[in-house]
Amino acid sequence: MRFSSKSLVFLLALTLILSAGNSFKVAGANKVTIKFFSNLPDRTAGQGRLEQLLIENYMKANPHVEVKVEALQDEPYKQKFRVYTAGNQLPDLFMVWGQPAFFDPIMKGGYAAELNRNDYKDYGFFPGSLDGFSMNGKLYGLARNTDLMVLYYNEKLFKDNGIQVPTDYDQLVTAVKAFRKLGITPIAQNGRDSWVLNILYQDLVIKESGDQSLIYKAIDQKEKFAYHKHLLAAAQDLEELVKIGIFQDSFIAADYGAARNLFGQEMAAMFYMGSWETGLAVDENFSASFRNNVSVVAFPGMKGQGKGRTTDMMGWFGGGYAVSSSSPVKEEAIKLINYIMAPENWAKNAWQLGLVIPGQKYDQFMTGNENKLQLQISKILNKATSFSGTPWNDAATPGFKVDSQTIIQEFAAGMKDPAKFLEACDQAARKAKQ
Amino acid sequence: MGDSMPSFRQNKKTIFMLVFPGFALFLFAVLFPIGLSIYYALTDWSGIGSLNFIGLENFKHAFQDRIFWKSIKNAATLALLTVTIQHPIAFLFALLLDRIGGKVEKMFKTIFFIPCVISIMVTSKMWVSIYNAQYGLLNKVLTLLQLGFLKQQWLGDPGIVLYSLILIMMWQGFGWAVLIYYAGVKSLPEDVFEASRIDGANRLQTLFYITIPLLQPVIAVNVIWAIISSLKQMETIYLTTNGGPGNASQFLANYLYIKAFDAYEFGYGNAISVLFVVVCLITTVVLNKFFKKDFY
Repeated sequence: MRFSSKSLVFLLALTLILSAGNSFKVAGANKVTIKFFSNLPDRTAGQGRLEQLLIENYMKANPHVEVKVEALQDEPYKQKFRVYTAGNQLPDLFMVWGQPAFFDPIMKGGYAAELNRNDYKDYGFFPGSLDGFSMNGKLYGLARNTDLMVLYYNEKLFKDNGIQVPTDYDQLVTAVKAFRKLGITPIAQNGRDSWVLNILYQDLVIKESGDQSLIYKAIDQKEKFAYHKHLLAAAQDLEELVKIGIFQDSFIAADYGAARNLFGQEMAAMFYMGSWETGLAVDENFSASFRNNVSVVAFPGMKGQGKGRTTDMMGWFGGGYAVSSSSPVKEEAIKLINYIMAPENWAKNAWQLGLVIPGQKYDQFMTGNENKLQLQISKILNKATSFSGTPWNDAATPGFKVDSQTIIQEFAAGMKDPAKFLEACDQAARKAKQ
Repeated sequence: MGDSMPSFRQNKKTIFMLVFPGFALFLFAVLFPIGLSIYYALTDWSGIGSLNFIGLENFKHAFQDRIFWKSIKNAATLALLTVTIQHPIAFLFALLLDRIGGKVEKMFKTIFFIPCVISIMVTSKMWVSIYNAQYGLLNKVLTLLQLGFLKQQWLGDPGIVLYSLILIMMWQGFGWAVLIYYAGVKSLPEDVFEASRIDGANRLQTLFYITIPLLQPVIAVNVIWAIISSLKQMETIYLTTNGGPGNASQFLANYLYIKAFDAYEFGYGNAISVLFVVVCLITTVVLNKFFKKDFY
């Protein structure tokens, strides 16, 4: 087929007119594009699916808004976040961890937009949940979930072997020894990630001292790690637990997935992990036997005067969202964050889908269809008498995070004794204060 | 003269046109980043916000940093073991391959090279599974062979983790070492060997007096490459232990990455990277001199 020059000119003119028309249309509708940076790359399941669903609903209700999502796993997310920050090119709305090691430099550097606290008075945020997202009384972000450290266990393994589920620390030690004798791993541990070891040490400090603030005072060097009675006792406890074989062999080299699988495949009796693992009860990757038998208790407290009880818990508010202060569509991004975090959106759905424990009140969203772990953790949460706040490794500078995680790994691997461990903690704390 | 001027000028233009793309690439992809790295190494920049010039403080700190030295020591151990264990074996296999000939030669050549074409991500994760203390293949095989007393926490024991990793890295690089030696052996002139046979040299004499001296340029290239690769090691460490437990299996590239991107000590991370480049350059120059002096 051949075109004459006249028809070619006509076609060209038509194309120009149409494309011009299109651009007028866009300009006329005031199309807004919001760049959304997320740490939930799986958009088809779990929290990622919920986030995507809420974004799509928002776009339907607000046709002039287009949300472009970029999502990466936690570690790559942190790296790219850093690159964006260094270039002052943070996306309009992004996920943040409301912990000093991550969010303080962002708030201090003026990268996050201030949010109006009054906008959220009916959002039902738990007391303290916005502390990690605030600086000098100003609010810069909103918390997504409540994180609570608990002890998942396999009912069948306890029952079949006549071992009592631990309700105090001594019973935990007895159970560990009994499982070891039977050749069953007592607790699956991801020591390669090391942060779980930091959290366990802090839990032991709480249980030894009954004082939630002690470890933070030590980081602040108002107390010394070396050789504070309770900080030393907790270190000795951890050393003893490792010695009697509380974790699987070579736990130091195991990552999160490996530890989770060990527990899910019923090769470990317990799994010390956060409340974000309520999905274990419905995880199709594991056997029906496991799903029916997985249960949860609070990490056991210690007996005696001045000791921490089972209800003195490791609990904090971790992930959340913030808006870039230099965003050209700041107002629209704040509207979106407000929509996502409205109680009937994130809190209601996250709870009803059994994904996490929200950072907002969720009693009104109970349906009776919750899975066993959700209800158990909810009870544990309601009974709790005190919460730790941010885990100690995340409570100071990023450098302190790296140092404290390396130190605890060396300690758990037997490369340091309790005294050397505490001295190294002091050194890291002093460095963080400089 | 008058005629030659324009052609000279034209030549200059042509030279410029030909050299410029390569030079520009070198400038922006190599020199500029190194310059920027030196600039940041002199600051206390965290990667976020403002920066202050602190002179050579980061470099002073690096010299006192025991993990920095530990990383260099680990790289030196890897380099030493690669040269003294992996390379003689690779050399032997290259000679054997050459002798076998035919289809079997091709088959083994491919088999040896397979680990090199599989992604490091895959091979590293495979070795993590092999080393696993509960269900790993290695401990299972040891138990089967009634050698249970040799079972180890291969990646969890600070005393042996480095050697476990070195074995992985040697395995990953073995195919390359064999291939380079094999190519060298194949390129040797046949007449020299014929002459030696006529002169009555036995196999060992041929190996030590003819094959090895003739292969010295290939050996030099292979050894330099192995040592520099040892210094630059990163992926396998990051994917297996991330330098742990503690810093027992730490290497320089992984350490600077942790410092720059986890600890937000971007200035210090850059100082390590500058020292890293210097160490690599010095090693290359020393090795080149050594091989030139001794063999050429």
